[in-house]
This record gives sequence, C-alpha cells and structure tokens, in this order.
Amino acid sequence: MTPFATDAEALFPELARRIANTLARLRQARGVTVGCSAKRAVWNCGKTTLYQYLPLGEAPARAGARPVLICFALVNRPYVLDLQPDRSLVRRLLVAGLSLYLIDWGDPDDADRCLDLEDYIERHLGGCVRHILDSHAGEALDLLGVCQGGVLSLCYTALHRRRVANLVTLTTPVDFHTPDNLLSKWVRGLDTELLMRSGNVPGEVLNGLFLSLMPLRLTQHKYVRLLTGNCDQRAVEDFVRMERWIFDSPPQAAVALAQFLRWFYQENRLVRGTLRIGGRRVDLGEIRQPVLNLYALEDHIVPPAASAAMQRYLGSADYTGCGIDTGHIGMYVSRKAAHEIPARIISWLRDRQ
Amino acid sequence: METPFTSAAFKPDAAFASAAERFFELLKTVGMPSAAAAGAGRDWSSLAGPLAGQFEQWLKTSQSAGAWFAAANAASPGPAAGFGAAQAGFFGPLPLGAGAAPQQDAQRGWDLVARLAQLQGQLASHWSEIANTAARRFVARLGAAAGGAPTLDNALQLYELWVSCAEESYAATVRRDDFCRLQAELANTSAALLVEQRRHAETLVRAFGLPTRNEVDALYAQLKDLRRQLAELTDAPRTRRAGAQRPAARPAGNRPRKRTRKPRA
Repeated sequence: MTPFATDAEALFPELARRIANTLARLRQARGVTVGCSAKRAVWNCGKTTLYQYLPLGEAPARAGARPVLICFALVNRPYVLDLQPDRSLVRRLLVAGLSLYLIDWGDPDDADRCLDLEDYIERHLGGCVRHILDSHAGEALDLLGVCQGGVLSLCYTALHRRRVANLVTLTTPVDFHTPDNLLSKWVRGLDTELLMRSGNVPGEVLNGLFLSLMPLRLTQHKYVRLLTGNCDQRAVEDFVRMERWIFDSPPQAAVALAQFLRWFYQENRLVRGTLRIGGRRVDLGEIRQPVLNLYALEDHIVPPAASAAMQRYLGSADYTGCGIDTGHIGMYVSRKAAHEIPARIISWLRDRQ
Repeated sequence: METPFTSAAFKPDAAFASAAERFFELLKTVGMPSAAAAGAGRDWSSLAGPLAGQFEQWLKTSQSAGAWFAAANAASPGPAAGFGAAQAGFFGPLPLGAGAAPQQDAQRGWDLVARLAQLQGQLASHWSEIANTAARRFVARLGAAAGGAPTLDNALQLYELWVSCAEESYAATVRRDDFCRLQAELANTSAALLVEQRRHAETLVRAFGLPTRNEVDALYAQLKDLRRQLAELTDAPRTRRAGAQRPAARPAGNRPRKRTRKPRA
C-alpha cells in the first residue's frame, strides 16, 4: 500500500493537454529573432568586431556626449543586451541619445588558441577604444563592462586611465575568493597548464559548467514551469530567445581562458595587486574616475560580495555601488532590470558628462 | 537579425519534452497526496527510495551534473564534448611502421582511461548521497505541503518543493572540499587524456610530413610578435603627438617599455 491515495492519474489528461500546447508554442517560436537594434561593423582585429549602433530616429541627439563602449564577456554572446525591443539595454541607451559601440569577440578557432589576456585587453579592447577615440576626435570614452567584460574593463581602465572618463560595471567579479563563490571553489584545483595544452575549450563545456551550478533548476525546472497556466505564446517566445542565448556560447581561446582561471579564480590577483598584463601591474587603486557598479543580489555566478568588494580596491572617490534584486541573467533580461538598469546608467552618466 | 536554432545544443522543444516526461514520472512515483492521506504524523518514508533512485539515475546520466568533466567519459557522449573524444580505442597502435606509437605511450593512455573510470565511480557515490539526502528532505517537508486538491497546479507546487530539496542537497555536497578536489582531478585527467591523444595524432601527422599543432603554434607566436612590433611602431608617432600636446604628463598606457617575454598562465 502506498502512503498516498493516488489521485495523480486524474491529472494526466490535463497534464497531457498542457504538454501538447506548450510543445506547439515552442515549435511555433522557432522563428523568433534576437538582436533588435541596427548596427554596423566599424573595426575589427582577428575575430573581434567593433560595432557601432545606429542612432534611433526618435532619440534626441546629444551634442558633445562621450561615446559609450560596451565590453561584454568572452564566454557569452553580447546580443543578450539587445535581445528584443522591450528587453534591450542597448535600445534604452540609444533612446537616451547615447552614441553606442559594442565589442563582439567572435568565435576563436585553433588559429587563436594562443590569444592571451594581453591580446584581448591591449590589442582588441585597446584597439576598439583607439578607433572610437580617433573617430570622435576625443580623448576619453565611457566604458561599460559586463560580467567578465567588466573585469577586462577594470584592467584596461587601470592601465589606460586617461582614455576612460567613466566606468560602469555590470555583474562584474573583483574578489574571486568570497566564500559563496561555487565556481571559484570548483576551478581552484584545475591544472591550467594542462588545460592550456589541451586546446580551445568549446562553448558547450563552459555552458555545461554554468548549468551544473544548479542543475535541476537550470535544466529541468525552467521547462516544467512552462506548464503553469500563464505561459502564452509571447511568454514562450521570450523564453526561447533566452534559451537560444544560453546555448549559444562561443569557444574559448585556450591560453586566455587558462590565464583567466589561474590569475583571477585561482590566485585572485586582481585584489591582491599581483596581476600583470603585458608586463605592467594592474593596480585598481589607479582607477580614479567615477565608477558605477551594478550587481545582482541573487547571482549564482558572480556572488554579490564578489562584486561589491570593488569599492575597497578602487582609487576612485566617486564610486556608486548598487545591488539589484534579481539573478545573473535577470540583470540583462528581466522586466524589472530592463527598466531599472538603463535608467540608473543613463542618469549616472548624465550627471558626469 | 540572427536566427535561432543554429546551435546543435539548442533544442528547447526537445528539452521541454524530456523535462515534462521526467515530471510525469515523478508524479507517477509520488502520486498526489490527498487531503485524507495528508494528516499530521503520516509516514511518507517509503517514498524516499524510489525518489532517490530516480534522481540518482538522472544525476548519473545528466551532462549538466559535472558537464565540465563528463566529456571525458566515452560512454556518455553529449553536448559537453569539450575535452574531446576520449575514446579508449584511440590508444591502439598507429597504423604506420616507423611512426607507430611506442607501447609505453599507449599504456599511458590506457592508464588515464582507467583512472577516469575510477574517478567517475567516486563521483557516482556523491550522486547517490545527494539523491538520498534530497529524497529524505522532501519526505520530511511533505507533510506540510500535502493535502491540497489533486490539481495540476498543486502538483507543480509539489514539484517546486522537490526542486528546492534537490538543489539544497546538491549545493551542500558540491561545495565540500572533497567534491571540489574530485571534480578538479576529473577535469585534469580528462585534459591529460586529450593531450595524450593529441600527442599520438602529432606522431601520425609527422609521419605524413604534415605540420603539427606545435609547429603551427610556434609560427603563430612569431606572427603575434611581429604584429606587436608593428603596432608599437605604428603607435610611436601617436604617442609622440600626444606627448607634444600634453607635455605635463605622459599617458600611462603609452609608456615605452622594454619587451619582455610574458609569462603564460
């Protein structure tokens, strides 16, 4: 005898109906597109492309405004910032009249396996900055670093502080050894030398690593939640766009990834002051320009403490830290973040023009 | 505009169908606790075994649970094939007389495959522990949650409880030092196996007179160095111009420096 009076079978017809409906909606959503704002490639270096977003017709032109460069992570695609019109950080910034650029790191292949962090920071990110400054005949731009791209932006700003007027970081880890950082615990014992020799790491592997931080929730629960009664076609399409982004991770250049794991996750060099890029020490104390640091309070990839620690190490007297009540991905696409984050960035930058 | 479904791993309808099927299985296992059955003090412990069994099986077969390392398992191909095709058969002798892999090389490969199998056995014991703890947690909390009408929405609430219990148990185990060490060793052994396979492949391509990975990498390193020198030469006039415009302070980023060979990771 089972401990339950098993009424579950009575639910099966309703369950089967909802499964069939959701499957039909998912199949119908195959045609969804991502990336809604028009942009053009203006510069490239290897697989890296610098895009300039075209101004929106309705946006008020802001004369003399500094250009803003978005530096996204190497481990994901940047189009999550411009996923769909009602969930697009890019679009909100364009509506505010900002002159916006974005770095797309592309797909490193075996010819790029020796790309290192110096290449990415000095040649690629640095090249983008130089190109923009030349185009605008300016001396400095505003830099918006996202996640791992925020780490690269911090390094670049510390090394080239005259070229960055204001720095905005989004879900950016600084202290990689906070106790709640599961990812850091997992990679602490990796042999990065061996990893480097084993070649580029496919995006699927890193994606699998991120999903395995909460496997049931991130690979099962989110699908079962589609069975709740309030998932209409539009909600399913939003879901599919997000899924597309999650499973579309670029491969990682072997050397750069190994350096990132070792220098940041294993040795925590950024906060210990022992990080050197291209022979030069990266000293966060050299960052004296205004910094806006936005982080997620429910972040399972970059714990809030890992990001909030930034304030202790910067030389800036104008630091604004702000925790948003959402998760890592929610920072880019949740409805709440879609309004709150662009509004904060726009008003903060406007106050510092 | 980019279109989705370009990645082989991106199949949300298939993933949904699979998750829904497991939810269905879970419902069949647990049943729906009726109001009558959900009285205080009711013993649900007989549920723990089947639940734990299902979850353990899922953890073992799921690439998500340890995807970083799962690719090394030749028996579990999947989206996380990152560390390559660690096929044990690769370590047979190469089909060339002069280029044939020495016996001790093949042995090294076999040793790594054996070590991987051993580590995966240890990992399985962690999955078992996580599954049992999750099931016990669920059963302990079920009393309060049970008793609603047997509707699909209540079943989904029960599922939420199950997911919470499972994730809590998972988090408790995977944060432990012994688990982290095991994961690292699995990853390192997988990487070592891949390096070993590539060494074999290099022996083969050398025998055919083809360029090896190491040779291509060396060429790339030279090219990179040349690019860097070119960039420095190109930047020099810019730096001089900037210096002339700002005599008081030289931009930190353009400070001339002696090139030193930078350390790799």
